[in-house]
Amino acid sequence: MSEPTLSAAKSAGQLNDELLSSLRPPTRRWYLLAFCLGAVVAWGLAAFIWQLTHGMYVTGKNRPVMWGFYITGFVFWVGLSHSGTMVSSILRLSQANWRRPILRAAEAMTVFCITVAGLFPLIHLGRNWTFFYMIPYPNQRGLWPNFRSPLLWDMTAITAYIIGSTLFLYLGLLPDLAVVRDRSVGWRHKVYAVLAMGWRGSAHEWSVYHKASTLMAALIIPVAVSVHSIVAWDFAVTVVPGWHSTIFPPYFVIGAILSGVAAVITLMIIIRRAFHLEEYLTPLHFDNMGKLLLVISLLWTYAYFVEVQTTWYAHEPIEWEVFSFMADRYTIPLLVMLAGNSLLPITAMCFKRLRRSIGMMLAVSLLVNVAMFIERFLIIVPSLSHKNMPFAWGSYTPSWVEISVNIAALAGFALLYTLFAKFFPIVALSDVRELEARKAGVPLGRVRVPSITGEE
Amino acid sequence: MEILGIFSDVESAARGVNELVRAGFTEAQITSLTSVPYPDGVLVRTGRSSWFRWLALGGGLAGAAAGFGLAAGTAWLYPVQTGDKPIIALYPTAIICFEVALLCAIIGTMTGMFLEMGLPALGRRPYDPAIADGCIGICLAIHAGGEVVACGPGDESGECIGGIASLSSGEQISRAEEIMRAAGAVRVIGGGES
Amino acid sequence: MSNRKETIMEKMTSPYKWGMVIDLDRCTGCGACVVACQAENNVAICEKKEISEGRNMQWLRIERFWVGEYPDVRVRFLPVLCQHCHDAPCEPVCPVYASYHNPDGLNGQVYNRCVGTRYCANNCPYAVRVFNFYSHEWPKPLDNQLSPDITVRSRGVMEKCTFCVQRIRRAKEEATGEGRLVHDGEVQPACAQTCPAEALVFGNLADPQSRVARLSRSPRRFKLLEHLGTHPSVYYLKGGGREHV
Repeated sequence: MSEPTLSAAKSAGQLNDELLSSLRPPTRRWYLLAFCLGAVVAWGLAAFIWQLTHGMYVTGKNRPVMWGFYITGFVFWVGLSHSGTMVSSILRLSQANWRRPILRAAEAMTVFCITVAGLFPLIHLGRNWTFFYMIPYPNQRGLWPNFRSPLLWDMTAITAYIIGSTLFLYLGLLPDLAVVRDRSVGWRHKVYAVLAMGWRGSAHEWSVYHKASTLMAALIIPVAVSVHSIVAWDFAVTVVPGWHSTIFPPYFVIGAILSGVAAVITLMIIIRRAFHLEEYLTPLHFDNMGKLLLVISLLWTYAYFVEVQTTWYAHEPIEWEVFSFMADRYTIPLLVMLAGNSLLPITAMCFKRLRRSIGMMLAVSLLVNVAMFIERFLIIVPSLSHKNMPFAWGSYTPSWVEISVNIAALAGFALLYTLFAKFFPIVALSDVRELEARKAGVPLGRVRVPSITGEE
Repeated sequence: MEILGIFSDVESAARGVNELVRAGFTEAQITSLTSVPYPDGVLVRTGRSSWFRWLALGGGLAGAAAGFGLAAGTAWLYPVQTGDKPIIALYPTAIICFEVALLCAIIGTMTGMFLEMGLPALGRRPYDPAIADGCIGICLAIHAGGEVVACGPGDESGECIGGIASLSSGEQISRAEEIMRAAGAVRVIGGGES
Repeated sequence: MSNRKETIMEKMTSPYKWGMVIDLDRCTGCGACVVACQAENNVAICEKKEISEGRNMQWLRIERFWVGEYPDVRVRFLPVLCQHCHDAPCEPVCPVYASYHNPDGLNGQVYNRCVGTRYCANNCPYAVRVFNFYSHEWPKPLDNQLSPDITVRSRGVMEKCTFCVQRIRRAKEEATGEGRLVHDGEVQPACAQTCPAEALVFGNLADPQSRVARLSRSPRRFKLLEHLGTHPSVYYLKGGGREHV
């Protein structure tokens, strides 16, 4: 795989200026964007308060469909949060140099996605104000939470992932924070100085830092895989037809990586455009991400096929009932899901020209995530609608409150991301500059080929 | 006490390090301050093995124990029968142990890393913001001076400094400053004033 | 230590295992049990709107099935209440022990603990758990009939059939006071008490001589969704005649 090259060798100062351009004082357009996102979040908050003060009847849920859009949103956002780990850790461990400009975007995305995801289980509670009953601490009720419940596994795993991915993000930021500290003045300088913890970049610090980054990358991957496996177990350990399936954990993890990779592509396109980083996020990066998307999409297709064909061939009555109800009632979403998760990415990502086309990548990556949201929905709702007792079958339509909260979650994520990009370097500065510092043109025959020096 | 020379490029910085070593200072006294990492040996050598991973391991083990306490201990403290599952169920206990172990290993890694780096640094240490813009700092720790710390045959280079330690610290500083300026240092911090 | 263990063991064993037999041959589908349950357990009275939304609060429902082709149509009834499963899927999924297994074999539901994850209702294959989507009120003078023995559940809380645990508690206390076990037939939930056809029989399955235990050994017995391995405490006796073929 060839390495990205900048048009001309740039001095470190120039690189700093360009990569940190996002930290310049906000423009009026930035304020407008933040305000609009804030307004959507406020609307979602209002919808949630409406639900809080009125009761769960403002949602579309009923007996038997007790989970709906909130849990769909939860699973979806947990899935998205897998981007950072997969793109960042795996590529860090495999020392793929093209990862460098997208590291930060992916890691920050993980943190904000899992934060947003973690809110959904709290929003969906019937008595939200008693959420602390689920936290294990010695209390006057004399009762600990039930760790045999998959919801407690969820809570433990998500807590671990929020803390772990935040530390991972911070670890990556540390040398960049020192650079920003040195280039800022006033109160900003003080804040960055505290965050940078007195980092000077001594040879010893760098040596320890590299060992720690590698170890952290290795530790965060099992957490990420376990988080989504546990989310899958929420469904798989039940006796609900369509949920009770051993393939769910790997299937969910693959789905999570698929949506995560697609979301990183979307964000790369937005960041590239917003901060004029065309030189750093080159078509080569999109090409490589496209290949990754192709592989994951193939894997997803395989997992889905395995899941469905088992149901199909075995034709166990109630399982088959759930499947045929889903295919019948939600035909169009089902087709969109298959097109968006499987057909379109697999065909489009086979072609280099399409992988390198920014417009195509944007379309594919957005559609993948729309399809992934539908996939979560189609897993959760049809199974609950047609459970074992035909007399108690039902259906579900999301209410305006649930839709508002889900849209606000998207806006809240975007708002957090916008704020983060304004206050912290959104491109992994030190990583990119490290590559530039180590690059040299080596004459080979009639050409000079770029070469990267590195350690064993 | 440290003295810091700021160089504009890797080559002059490396020259400075070589000259310092030739003058009798040891590698263990010299470190480089850079805003991007250079492979070991390009400027200075950091041969030391690191210990922070033990803290990660310790964190992981402590976390596993804490996870066991959470899942199995609390269930045992207040046993409630649910769905014919055992009070201390193997599967959930293993899951909670795993999660808490990894969380604590991650926290242990971060803590260990900062401890080993000696961060956060509270005291004032010589530094120059130009390092952020690509300049390279060569930082020399000055020996208290006044007595010869002789190098025996079995000593490692970090443990002795040799003849130069017999000079007073002031003389050592001026000698080092001279060498760094000769090698092409743009400026030297912590030297001239003292 | 051993003392503590003993008290735990004492807490977890019981001479009772409450169960029910429902004879489908006797059920006429009159719905008296549903009304009795509602009156006994402070179950909310739902409006038409609530019921049409699928948010009905009945703890006990009569499932009605049409059998045969017109004009030879018959109707069959299946009263479905909480099956008080031994391996209840609803219990281990609750994060706060609101749903738990009582030593007498009941699926307990502690309303004050419930945070409303609704996981238990999803995992109940019989769909007998009802959730308070609305906050219910009893218009005057209906509030006078609320039973003081039972909590009035607030919105956001899951509730379900308890086999009228308040009656069982009272009977057990009286029996303990007199130093004996509860006699067969001494305690009945409201549904069984009200059933004019005696289709519902309640009692202690741990006592092989009790009426419910004897009926549960009938060759007509079956359990709902037995293949799921939930081991319900409610037995159904299959109705006879050609219409159930």
